[in-house]
Order: sequence, then C-alpha cells, then structure tokens
Amino acid sequence: MSFLSITGATKAFGANTVVKGFDLEVQKGEFVSFLGPSGCGKTTVLRMIAGFETPTTGKVMIDGRDVTQLAPNKRRIGMVFQAYALFPNMNVFGNIAFGLKIAGLNKTETEGRVHEMLKLIGLEHLAARYPYEMSGGQQQRVALARALAPRPQVLLLDEPLSALDAKIRVSLREEIRDIQRKLGITTVFVTHDQEEAMSISDRMVVMNSGRADQIGTPAEIYNRPRTSFVASFVGTLNILKAKIADAGQRKVSIGGRTLQLNDRIKSSDGNVLLALRPEALSLTPSDRQDVAVEGTVTHVNFMGSVIRIRMDVDGETIVFDMFNTPHLTPPTLGQRALAHFSSQDVFEIAA
Amino acid sequence: MKKPFPVLPAITVLVAAAYFLVPLFATFYFSLKMTRGTLSFAAYQSVFNSREFLDSLVYSTLASLAAIVMGALIIVPTVYWVRLKIPKLRPVVEFVSLLPLIVPGVVLVFGYIRLFGSNSYLPLTNTDRGTDLLLVLGFVIMSMPYMYRAVDNGMAAIDISTLTEAAESLGASRLRTVALVIFPNVRSSIIAGSFLTFSISLGEFVLPSLLNRPAFGPYLVQLGQDRAYEPAALAIMAFGFTWACMALMQVFANKKPGQGVVPRLPFLSRKERSA
Repeated sequence: MSFLSITGATKAFGANTVVKGFDLEVQKGEFVSFLGPSGCGKTTVLRMIAGFETPTTGKVMIDGRDVTQLAPNKRRIGMVFQAYALFPNMNVFGNIAFGLKIAGLNKTETEGRVHEMLKLIGLEHLAARYPYEMSGGQQQRVALARALAPRPQVLLLDEPLSALDAKIRVSLREEIRDIQRKLGITTVFVTHDQEEAMSISDRMVVMNSGRADQIGTPAEIYNRPRTSFVASFVGTLNILKAKIADAGQRKVSIGGRTLQLNDRIKSSDGNVLLALRPEALSLTPSDRQDVAVEGTVTHVNFMGSVIRIRMDVDGETIVFDMFNTPHLTPPTLGQRALAHFSSQDVFEIAA
Repeated sequence: MKKPFPVLPAITVLVAAAYFLVPLFATFYFSLKMTRGTLSFAAYQSVFNSREFLDSLVYSTLASLAAIVMGALIIVPTVYWVRLKIPKLRPVVEFVSLLPLIVPGVVLVFGYIRLFGSNSYLPLTNTDRGTDLLLVLGFVIMSMPYMYRAVDNGMAAIDISTLTEAAESLGASRLRTVALVIFPNVRSSIIAGSFLTFSISLGEFVLPSLLNRPAFGPYLVQLGQDRAYEPAALAIMAFGFTWACMALMQVFANKKPGQGVVPRLPFLSRKERSA
C-alpha cells in the first residue's frame, strides 16, 4: 500500500484542462520528482497534494486517508516555495516556531524542536536574524526547517532551488536530499531542471501537457525513454534516420550498414528514427561498438573534463562527448572522422 | 570644471519657500503679541486654560482613534480578500474607496440624517451615543481613500498569496493567518494610514458641526470668530502637530521588522542578535 496516492486526477481552469488523468503511487520515505517544461501541470499536481487546488475529478490519498476535500491546514503537509515565503515580520526562530505554535506546543517543546531544526540546517547562529538579513540559500534552508518542524506527513518542494545561483543550487540540493534521507520523509519535488531531478530523486515523473509521460528511476528515464517527448526533454539526443531492412528481424539499415535493434520496430512507413545518447558515441572504437558513421567535425567544445564534438553526417548533426585525458589531442575542425557506437544503445523514437 | 552656481533654481526655491514660510512666520509672530508691548506665549496659555479646548480635543481624539480601529478592521481584511480571491474586482473596489473624495462631507451628512434620522428605521441621531457612532462612521468613510491606499500599497509589497499558503501549509486557519501573518506585515502601512486618518478627523468641521457634536473642528471655527490671538496660536500648534504626524509616518513606514522605533546601532546589533 502506497503512502501517497493520486488517482485519475484532472484539473480544469475554465476551458483549460491543465492536468489530464494523473496517477501516481508514492511509497513512504520515497523522494519523487515532477519534471517537465513550464505549463505541463507539475505545480498544479503538487498544489492538489497540498490542498491549494481541488482536483476537478480524481482523488488524493495520504496514508490511507482520502484528503481530496480536506483543507490545506488540516493535511499535515510541509511545503517549501520557490520564493522562500518566510514571514518577513518574524525572525528565523519565529518562522520555524510558527507551525509548532499553531499546533499548540508549549514553550519548552517549541524551543527544543526549533533548535533541533536549526541544527539540522546548520544555522544555529542565525536564530535571531530576520529574512531580509539573510542570503537566498539561508532563507531557503530556514523555509525547509519551518516546513519540517511540525513533523509533516509529506514534504512538498515547489522549485525550491530555482531562485538560487548555480553553486548554492547544487550544494543545497544535496543538503535537501541528505536531510530527507535522515528523516525518511516522503517527498515530492517539482523542478524544470532535469539534472536536478535526476541527481536527487528515487523516482521521477516526466510530465508533458498535463500527463505523466513516464514514471521511473532516473536511470530508466534516461536510458529507456518511453515517449519521444521524454527522450528529447531529458538529456541530449542524437537522431539518426534509418530505413527498415527487415521489420520482423528488427533490422534497419543506416549508412550502408545493417544493425539489429533491441526492441520491436513500431514505425510502419519504411523509415525509422533512431536515437542515441551523446555518451554512446566515440571516435575510438571499443569492443562492443559494432557500428560507425562517417562525418565531418564541425564543432569542438572543450569543457574541461569532457569534450563535446559536433559532427555533420550526411547533412544531419550528431553530438557526442568524449572524456578528456592528459594525452588526448582533440580532433580538428573539418577533419573527417568515424563515430562509433553499439547497436545495443540505439533505440527507436516515434517521429 | 566647476559648475556655475544655479541662480535661477535657487531663486525659485527661495521664492517658493518664502511663499510658505512668510505667512507661517507672520502667524507665529502675531500669536505671540497677545500681551500688549511684549512677545509672550499668553495666547497659548489662554488656549490651554480653556476647558472647552481640552474637552473638544479629547472628544475628537477618541472619535479619531475609534475611526482608525474601525477603518483598519474593515479595510485590511477587504484589501486582503480582494487581492487574494477576486483580483479582477480590484479596480472597482479602488474606485469605491475613492468615492469619499468626490462626495462632499455635506452631502454625506445629509445622507446620514435622512437615513438614520428620527423618522427612519434606525434612528441613530435620537441619542448622543448614536450620533457619536455616526460621526465615527463618517470619519471612517472620509479617511477611507487614504487608509485603503496605504494598506493596498503595503500588501503590494509582500507576496500575500504565497505567505497565506505558507501559513496554511503549517496548519494555520484563515483567521490566524490574517492575525499572525498579514496584519503584522502591513502594520507599518496601517500606522501610516492611521496618522492620515487622525489628522483628517481631528480637524474635521462639517461632519461634527452638522451632527452637532462637541468636536475640535467646530471649536476651532468658533474660536476664530470670537477671539483674535488664540486662533493664530492654535494654527501654529496644528501645524506642528501635522508635521509631527508626517514625521511619525515616515519613521513607521520605513521601519523594518526587528527594529525599534530608533534604528539599531551597528555596535549594539551583534550583542542583540546573539541574545
């Protein structure tokens, strides 16, 4: 039995349906991310869990209890917002203590819990600070502590890192994950940043125009995207055009070579679009790479540990990454080169 | 290269300043001349010794304070609700809040007297307390444009919908959200609005005069007809009082949470924070 479940949820604002038949089961202690472009309905689903939106149809259950019609302040959820939303009139202590006061804890209990939370976020020395006296990263940590203080059943994070600068974003997301593991709290995290979603989650839900396109672990989503939307939204993708050689044998031909796909071919018009991740290609062949395409190097992007190369293959651009090593000479522009890959790494995507 | 001295702007400033300051000084000078031949504060003394002065001042102060409390209790939740739930109606509500500037006080009072006079269903004017209530309500109406503006600006500065959601996710009911989060965060705006309300209602003449209440405004006018030097002294005091109100408004409007009325001094703040 899952701890948090959303069943057949839809949400319409007037004529505009932003969530269309959304189903999700989240286990206790799991960290689930909603990933998708803006306007895909991810925040609306989160707000349905929080109670700020009532689903037009469908229901939300937390710990076996139907909370669909329950007011937000009765749901025992903790929420962190993109804009921090700390109470400007209260200092850090007051902010963290707010939920405890509402819950009716006495002074000693409140103080104990607030200090526990301050210790958790490592800001014990800032208890008397006001929000306007702190950096964005500090404010967001306080917001996290405030949300966690009343021991909520579910923690909801609505793009909590989007307003922060790049360095803080990475360190804070690791911190959030550590805290979440330590407390074992069921967490839903909304983001439009795929790297963030992949690095932080147990499972992720890739959303596209109101639907969950794919639900799975980050590795599943990245390596075996089920829809072309997921494939193109998560990570970079090379698209190769191929012709079906033998549909029954799952064979296609590309650049004069025939290769066998892992999965059944879905396309029926003789042409097929093949997708390949940049890291599946390389200039020097390894044992398992059985296919190669020839092309002209058009870009060499030196990014430190990785070199990203763009190559023109019969008018199509393919992108791939190679690891830098101290002895490596990067290819030069205009050079003809072979890009090797394994037919095992190729998957078909819908046109 | 040194810029040439801005002659024309300087003259403009001096002339404009003189336009305001000369009459002020003349009034002040005149108010000091009650005792023949010497300058003294005799006119001020005379004002303060008057029983009527104190009574009407106390009456008007109480009525103004009541108007402030009532106004804040009506306007803050209204602005909050309109901004949170029906933002489309904001222009309408804003227009309504400005109506008292268009409707003259005389019209308002005659409207009241018709609606709440002795022949009406709710004859408030039959008793003194009822008329007091009408007066306070009138003050609330008259100061509404200012109170509404101040509170609306205050709420524009904070993200009330997210703060409301944050409070609700932490278990707070709507009422507690308004009391613990919204009110304190627009407190400085309410105070700024209150000072405006106070300075308007304190000197208001038409309303208390037509309702026949012993307020400060009618007293001022009466005094102006009866005496020579005291009105000048009162004018100077009123001027000082208005400026004090403005200064206080500035102080409260710019106050940040956690600061006292006097801004925190840097060498004290560290100690305070660690405490």
